[in-house]
Parts: sequence; C-alpha cells; structure tokens
Amino acid sequence: MEIERVKERVMEGRPGFTRQYGPARTDHQPGIPFWPQEIARDMVVIFFLVAILFFLSAFVTPFLGPARSIGVGEIIVPDWYLLFSWGLLKAADVLPQFQLGPAFFGSQLWGDLLSGIPVIALLLLPFLDRGRESRPAKAPIRSAVGLGAIVAIFTSSLYSVREIIGEIWHTPDIDPNPLVVKTLPLIPDGTLKLFLIVPPILVGLATFVGLRRLGFRPMRTALLAILPATFFVLAAIAAAMLFLPGGLPELSRPFALQIAVFLAIFVGTAGAGTLAALLLPETSARKGVLVAGVGGLTAFLAALWYASVSMRGDLSWVLLALYTNMNTVVLMPPFVILTAWFALRRPYSTYEYLLNECYQCGKCHTVCPVTKVEEDALGGLNLVYNTFKKQHDGVPLWTCLACDACSAVCPLDIQYSDYILAQRAGHMRRLAADGGEKE
Amino acid sequence: MASGSMRKTGPRMIMGWIQQRFPSTPWADLTRKAVETDQRQMPRSHAEKYELKTIWYWYPLYCLGGISFVAFILLTITGIILGFFYVPDGTYQLTSSGDLTNRAWQSMVYIMNDVPFGFILRGMHHWAAHIMIAAVFLHMCRVYFTGAYKKPRELNWLLGVVLLLITIVFGYSGYLLPGNNLSDGAANIGIEMTRATPIIGDDIAKILWGDINTISGIYVLRMYWLHVFILPLVGTGLMILHMALVWIQGVAEPH
Repeated sequence: MEIERVKERVMEGRPGFTRQYGPARTDHQPGIPFWPQEIARDMVVIFFLVAILFFLSAFVTPFLGPARSIGVGEIIVPDWYLLFSWGLLKAADVLPQFQLGPAFFGSQLWGDLLSGIPVIALLLLPFLDRGRESRPAKAPIRSAVGLGAIVAIFTSSLYSVREIIGEIWHTPDIDPNPLVVKTLPLIPDGTLKLFLIVPPILVGLATFVGLRRLGFRPMRTALLAILPATFFVLAAIAAAMLFLPGGLPELSRPFALQIAVFLAIFVGTAGAGTLAALLLPETSARKGVLVAGVGGLTAFLAALWYASVSMRGDLSWVLLALYTNMNTVVLMPPFVILTAWFALRRPYSTYEYLLNECYQCGKCHTVCPVTKVEEDALGGLNLVYNTFKKQHDGVPLWTCLACDACSAVCPLDIQYSDYILAQRAGHMRRLAADGGEKE
Repeated sequence: MASGSMRKTGPRMIMGWIQQRFPSTPWADLTRKAVETDQRQMPRSHAEKYELKTIWYWYPLYCLGGISFVAFILLTITGIILGFFYVPDGTYQLTSSGDLTNRAWQSMVYIMNDVPFGFILRGMHHWAAHIMIAAVFLHMCRVYFTGAYKKPRELNWLLGVVLLLITIVFGYSGYLLPGNNLSDGAANIGIEMTRATPIIGDDIAKILWGDINTISGIYVLRMYWLHVFILPLVGTGLMILHMALVWIQGVAEPH
C-alpha cells in the first residue's frame, strides 16, 4: 500500500528517488542525455561559431592601416573591450592632482586606480555577498548592482570617445566669420561625465524596485521615497533652466518658449506618473501610470514633430539646452514611469516564475492526498506542478483539495494552492465573460 | 630462405620487435571494464545527473564559457599558422622611397596579400579574439547574475577573474603586434599608464615594454613573447584548472 511505503520511508523506485546507476539502469531517466543529444547540440553551436567566423573574416576585413610613424594626428580608438578603462582614464581629470611624497597623483595614476577598483571589487565579491539566494530575481540588490555596473561600463566606454561624440553631435557654425568654423558640442563634457553616475543609479533603483515586487513585496512605500525625490530634482532643474539668469546657454535663449514646452512635457509626465502611483487606489494605479507614460511619450513626439516642422529641421538650440541637462531632464521622466510601473505590477502574473523554482525534490508528491487515489497523477510531482508543466490533462485544477500540504513541506516555500485558487478564479472569470458555462 | 617466407614472417617479426620493447596492454578492454565497473558509465549530462525535468530559461546562457573555450582553440590553431609568417620586429626602417615602415607591418602585409589563405587566417584570428572576449565577459555576467560564485565555488570565481584579465591582456597585446598607428597609440597609453606607477613606474615600463616610449619599437617584441608564450602557458593552465573545478564541483544550480 502506498501509505505503508510512505510510513517506512521507502523511496526507491519513486520518482525523484532513483537508486539505479550504471549502463544497465532500467528506470526512466529524466533529462536530456549527454550522448548523443547534448553532444549534437554542442556541435551545432561550435559549427555555427566557426561559420560566423568564416563569414566575418571573409566580408569584414580587420583594420591594418599604414605602418606606424612618428607623431600620428588621427584619433586612436582602442578595441571596444578597453574603452571602459580608457574612459575612466579620461574622466579622471576631474579628480585633484597633487604630489604626495614621491608619488604624483596625476590623471594617469587616477586612471590606473579607477580601473583597478572594479577588479578588486570582483575579487572580493564571493566574500562580500554571502547570501543564500542565487536566482537573479530573488537577489534584487545583487541584480541591481550588476545592471548598474553594466550601464556604467557602457557609459564609461561612451565617455572614452567623447571627441567623436562631439564631432557627430554639434551645433551649427556660431562664428560670424564665414571662413572660420566654430561649433559647440551638443552634449557637453560635464553631462557626459555625469553619465558615469546618474544612469547607473537610475537603472539600479528601477531594477531593485521591480525585482522586489516580483518577489511579492508591496513596493508603494519605496515609491513614496523615490518618486517625489526624483520629481522635485527634475522640477527644480527645469525651473532653474528657465528662470535663473545663466540657466540656458546663451544661444538657446531666443528659443526659451520651445524649451519651456518640452520641459513642461517632461515635468508633467513625471508629475502625473508620481501622482498616479501614489494617490490612485491600488487597482487603478498601474493603469494611471501607464496612461501618464503613453500620454507623455505622445506629447513629446508630437511636440518634437511640430517643432521640427515649424523650425525647418534645425532644433540645435533647443537640443543644446535639453542635452546639457540630459541626465535629469530627459532620463528621469521615463525612470519615474518605469519604476512606478514595475513597483505596481500584479504579483500573480509571476506565479509561473515561482513555480519554476521547483527542483523536483518530490516531497510534495509524498504528502499529496489526491495522488494516493488518482491513478493518472502517479509518476510525477504534485498535481499543480504537473498541470503547470503541461504533463497532465488539467483535471487536477479541479481535483486539488487546496489542502496546502504541498506548500507546507516545500523547501522553497512555493504557495501551490494560491496558484490553484488564482487559476480557478481566472477560469471562472473567463467563463463568466463568455456568458456562463457551456454544457 | 625463400623470399616468400620473409614476406609472411616479416610483419610478424617487426611487430614482435615492437612488442618486446613495448609490451602491449589490452587498453581497450581495460578501459571498457573500468567504464562498466560499479557506478561508472558514460558521463551524464547535468540534466540527467540531477534528474531535471525543467529547463530554466537562463540555461542557453550556460554555453558562454564553452564558446569562449572553443574560440580559444580556434585562436590557437590560427595563431600557430600566423606565427610561421609574422616577424616581431617593430623598429623603424625606410622604404626605397624614404617612407617609414617596419618588418612587423611588412610581414602583416605579406600574410594578407601573399600567404595562401593568409587573409582569411588573419580575419579568423581577429574575429575569434573579439568573440572570445565578448563571450568571457558575458560568461562572467551570467555567473554573477545566477550567483554561481557562492560557496563552495569562490576559488573558481577568483580563477575566472584572473582569466578575464588574461583574456583582456591577450587581446591588448595582440593588437599591439601589427606595427601600425593603432598599435603605437595603444602602446603609448599602456606605457604611460605603467609609468604612472609611483617610484618604480619607469623600471616596470622598461621590463615590460623594453623602453619608456614607443619610438624604439621594442614593445612589439616584448608583447609578441607575452602573446605567444607567457599568456598561452599561464592561460591554458588556468583554463584547464577552471574547467576541472567545474567538473569536480558540478554546475551551480539556481536553487
């Protein structure tokens, strides 16, 4: 009898409790075999890689250029994987330069040190992060720091090619003399330097909030701190741009009206998103944030289109003012909308994620009362899991007693019966929307 | 003795001569027995070992370390062939028309224009290097985000960080070799950053780069030896250790 086997803890032969090994094992072995399936898959990957290499080497010639000579005038750009270090070296000129004993703390030594800090952080990582969780969505701080660091690597690489950015995005000629060409970079050096700090922090915060919400935490209190602070920074900078004497670049001042319209759209989007996220009732807040975001984007595109038509394509002076404050004025409104939307996500859309954590220990199957009487539920884990994995015909959705025994023994604390109840509710809702159950 | 008997016994005599000196062992039989002994079998896949029914949607990213190793093997093969033709001499020379040149750059031109398949060889070496570095970086991101560096795998993470640095230095020393303006500019940045080290900066630059600037062109020879001997030696050893530790400790599961 099944119950004796459970009492005596005889697990041999039960799913998940294989005790047969060797080539002669007869039991069913789940998983993809190493030979030949996984080997075949690996060979496909390897051949594909070689094919890509042949394609690239045939059609994209590696740069050789002229032989090295003295005093090269052109801009030398290293390979992409060294750009981050070069960017840190260039950005290091903001740090103080001084002589300390025999050591001169110039920008080069600062560049060395700045490039060394990430390496030291990487070496210390396993000793700093000693938490148990390993899934990215279950470790919000680690994931947020990681994504922020990736953004920082990207922006630091971007900073290393600041001269090229200045060449590509610049204002029209501002020198009245037709023989002299003088332009201003649309994205000034200070703004590019702030890229190393502001976008990583914004991305990290949004990731943290979103992943905590994925883990069923109510995140509105966090929004209460983040959104108003962001909004006030944004509003203060917009006001300073418009009303302080040196707020706008000199050449942008004639276009103050256009700039004010764009700023109103940015600040209005962030403000509407903040208000919707904090004041609307729980059920409609997410929709309100979405409406604010879509409305803001539409207004922005419409204003951009109208401005470029009415100013005959030359938006340089408006862009000069907006790009200079890109880190706050342009980046913060989408950050507000995204963060609020992440924080207000319905958590029950993430049951699938939680069920995916199961590593088939088999405890739930042992305790499930329904599997003791229902023949076709044998040979798997609990009813809910099998239904979710489409290894079952879906009947357990209604045979499950919702007794919660599976959740009680689950080492990962997966709330199976919550899932069952949510699924039943959703099913009934769909039936009701169709006008009642069909016979 | 008839010549026909020699034809018959000859191979046996030769095999006997070899057998006496290298007595053969039934290696195939012994291997099969070892494999079939208790609990030994073909290596089992990760999914089999842990009887996984589910495939996590991150699993495709678990191939990145393997991709970087495959790229490394391709780099070794193409690099050995390139080494037959490359001349690690970066000192200035004059062409007949009085322009500056150097033998490293001339050998690059020779490889690309005259060596059969040299163009495609250099292309594959170049692009495999980019793919390897990208794969190593993405592999590190995967390990970071899935928390695979945690106990008991701290040592392997440290090895991985060292391997990441070795890979970057591989790439860097590699593009200093062609003796063009790009090599010069990149070597200048490297030499300047080395010299910025307090007190011993110039001495380190002399040891590592051969000189405190790029004018003499000695850096090409130094970087060549780093690129084709020291880094492959250290790197291959650490890579084998890295993969051996993965084999011993098993793949980290996001449990």
